[in-house]
Amino acid sequence: MSDGVTMGTENAALRNALAAEHVAVWGYGVVGAALGPEGRGRAAAAEDAHRDVRDRLTALLADRKVEPVEEQAAYALPFPILSGVDAAALGVVLEDGAAAAWVRVLDQAAQRSTKELAVGMLSATEIRAVTWRGAAGKKPVTSALPGLPKQ
Amino acid sequence: MSSSPPPALPGIPRRTLLAASAAGLAVLVAGCTSAPAAGPNAVTTKQEDEFAAQVPVQKALVAAYAAAGAADPALKAAVADLAAQAGEQLTALTAAAPGAAGSARSSSTTSSSAAPSSPAVGPDARAWLRGQVAATATSHATACLGQSGARAALLGSIAAGLRGQDARLA
Repeated sequence: MSDGVTMGTENAALRNALAAEHVAVWGYGVVGAALGPEGRGRAAAAEDAHRDVRDRLTALLADRKVEPVEEQAAYALPFPILSGVDAAALGVVLEDGAAAAWVRVLDQAAQRSTKELAVGMLSATEIRAVTWRGAAGKKPVTSALPGLPKQ
Repeated sequence: MSSSPPPALPGIPRRTLLAASAAGLAVLVAGCTSAPAAGPNAVTTKQEDEFAAQVPVQKALVAAYAAAGAADPALKAAVADLAAQAGEQLTALTAAAPGAAGSARSSSTTSSSAAPSSPAVGPDARAWLRGQVAATATSHATACLGQSGARAALLGSIAAGLRGQDARLA
């Protein structure tokens, strides 16, 4: 099997991850607005974490002279957010989306440092997803293979 | 005046971003089972051996769940879903490393990571198990860095799944 990974495939995957991080930053604003004070703090922490990753990715792509992905003004929600449980479920969706993007980076990365970044980000998304799955009443709260398509 | 709808959230619900990812990753495990091809990105024997060496590491974790459950029946019930997921991860790893069971090419790495037959559980079974989960996650995450393509993705995903288990056990 030839993996066919190059700097080109790596940069494309990083742009994809940046798009997912834009979504997460935007989405956590929605999550936080629908939660009470306690949950709002958790959403704010998650939003901050994704903002940091977004900024890091933007800088990395700029260093490589790769055009970054611009954030959209808004995104379509997958379902109405009418309760705290809905908000937690949206948190799960945001983290799962980011996880898929980071697995894609691992699949396409040419550089060890990029893999290091990706595996760290992937773990961070899954840890947050565990909390949100619990708050959303989803079982199990853990995922065997985060970011990979379900078989 | 009409405006176009906002773009859908990537990854929601596993149709947009996930669909794009799935195009390359749905064949992750199956793809890893094909024979290595020559070329600059071909998988090396060293990479194959190091990947195969992660199978006994995961086997040891499956054994650790069984041992912790035997030592603490209440814990066994509480972590049944986690144990099942550890088994699912082992199945995926084994499928992606078909030669792992009989691989004896390498040596130190493989032999040093062989699964213990009966691990000794500490006095606090939950804490002991959590330590095993964390150590296994670190092992897979470290091994992931030396791999490429589907193998790197699979090891990274398993490592992340185990970080989630660690968080749940906390």
